[in-house]
Amino acid sequence: MNGVSPAAKAAQKPAPKAGRVLRWKNAGLFAVLVLLALPPFFVDDYIQFILDLILVYVMVSVGFNIVLGYAGQLAFANAAFFGLGAYAMALCLGRFHWPFAAALVTAAGVGGGAGLLVSLPALRLRAYYLAIVTLAFGELLRWGYVHASSLTHGSAGLAVPAAGVFGLHFATDRARYWLFLVLVALTLWGSANLLRSRFGRSLAAVRDNEAAAAAIGVSPALAKIGAFSWSGSIVALGGAMYALLLGRISPESFGLSQLLLHFSIVMIGGLGSLLGSVLGAVILTAAPELLRDIPGLEEILFGVLLIAVLLFMPKGVAGVLGRFSLLRERLYLS
Amino acid sequence: MTALLEVERLSVAFGGLAALSEVCLTLAEGTVTAVIGPNGAGKTTLLNAITGYVRPQSGRVIIEGRAVTGLPPFAIARRGLRRTFQNGGAFNDMSVLENILLGADKALRSPFFGILFGFPGARRAERQAVAEARAMLARAGIRGLEETRARELSFGQQRLVEISRALLSRPRILLLDEPAVGLSESEREELRQRLRGLAGEGIAVLLVEHVVDLVMAVSDRVLVLNSGQVLAAGTPLEVRSDPAVLEAYLGSA
Repeated sequence: MNGVSPAAKAAQKPAPKAGRVLRWKNAGLFAVLVLLALPPFFVDDYIQFILDLILVYVMVSVGFNIVLGYAGQLAFANAAFFGLGAYAMALCLGRFHWPFAAALVTAAGVGGGAGLLVSLPALRLRAYYLAIVTLAFGELLRWGYVHASSLTHGSAGLAVPAAGVFGLHFATDRARYWLFLVLVALTLWGSANLLRSRFGRSLAAVRDNEAAAAAIGVSPALAKIGAFSWSGSIVALGGAMYALLLGRISPESFGLSQLLLHFSIVMIGGLGSLLGSVLGAVILTAAPELLRDIPGLEEILFGVLLIAVLLFMPKGVAGVLGRFSLLRERLYLS
Repeated sequence: MTALLEVERLSVAFGGLAALSEVCLTLAEGTVTAVIGPNGAGKTTLLNAITGYVRPQSGRVIIEGRAVTGLPPFAIARRGLRRTFQNGGAFNDMSVLENILLGADKALRSPFFGILFGFPGARRAERQAVAEARAMLARAGIRGLEETRARELSFGQQRLVEISRALLSRPRILLLDEPAVGLSESEREELRQRLRGLAGEGIAVLLVEHVVDLVMAVSDRVLVLNSGQVLAAGTPLEVRSDPAVLEAYLGSA
């Protein structure tokens, strides 16, 4: 009902030919994926392990970001989903001797189920209360790993045998890298598709304005349940990858320091940005390794980065990049 | 004319205080009905009780012959009813285009796995929804702001976004909470024409409004509330000449 301002008119662009843009974008993404598949041919064993670890944390932070950034839920059950995925993988392979694919699906399923469970208090509780309940859930699970020793071997932890599928054997960090790369690429692709669809919009709508979301027929409860289940299964897949990578897991890996790492990656990368989570995982996994020789510097870097991001770049690294609007449109930073 | 929405003796109380008592109202297909009344008369409470945001103490709300009393807001909305909010129903951190697309989403029936794997059918449906959303933006005169965050819009523009979103989901019933606040004289005239146009398409429109001129010019029926009770109901002419209304509301205005 307002007149169109000159500025608004100037901003109008002819709509790009959707099909062609999509083809170029897909070709570009495929090229990036091919490039990312090359490092195992060049790097030494140590760097290879770090690259594997980065992929684990990309997985984990993408999952966490869905709940924290997109659904806007202050829930801290991420280390719990991570641990459940790791233990599911270790038990399915080491104790039940299931095929690898079945173990992977089970880990994702267990994580999704745990996500669904955690979403139930989220339907009632807000902010701090939800944060406390979800933290408690994580600690409870850790207590469970220690005390269900007939299954988990308690504090001693579990060994995770190497596994394979379709005749491929993931016994080395190099082989695991390719497996992880495929899993991460598929997860990123599927998640980006969902987030840009009506499902993603419903999540963001409930986050921004729950009453108005309900007024257009979005069930806030269903949106939250969906977000937590989806997030839980992705994070648990990350946990399963972690178990495969380390070859041995124990309860102390899934405590508050693990959670703090996940949280820092999401915050420093950028809340509500998939690419931000990828960048955050790269920065926070690689940087401590570079600083390993100087004791104490790792913790200082962590703290300083987190404070700097919260003070000066509330949308994280992705938010800073996103100021260049061209990048934002090309890379789905927002 | 078929009744799309019927409100039967609806009462709402907040902690023992009667906010609405025994309010009756019928919205017919293709008509504009206005609810007026002084501040605190219960106008917004009526809207909230109809749409499920406030639980009525007694009475019934019926949409197309089926009672919806006690259902949650999203379930009532899915019966073909859309509402706007007095202060801000925009999704602040989403773009204008996304804000409006949300109105189309309930009609997007693409299955979960089609979307997850980016099947052509799901993509086509999404593209079509985007085209519809852009057309709706153009109709509202806010073209060129597609990628702007809703929080950066003016209050009036935010309200236009909200109405456009509601219309994109092709509601049978549209409830507007004070749509004319902050609009200029000429914008009010455009709003009046737009509301008549919507009624012409068969939508039952209810507006809660302070601006008496607009109400008198646009409405088929007017309901006057005072202290939670129906003071008068009828055509604008009947209501305008009702002595009780003159005394309680128009006289003091």
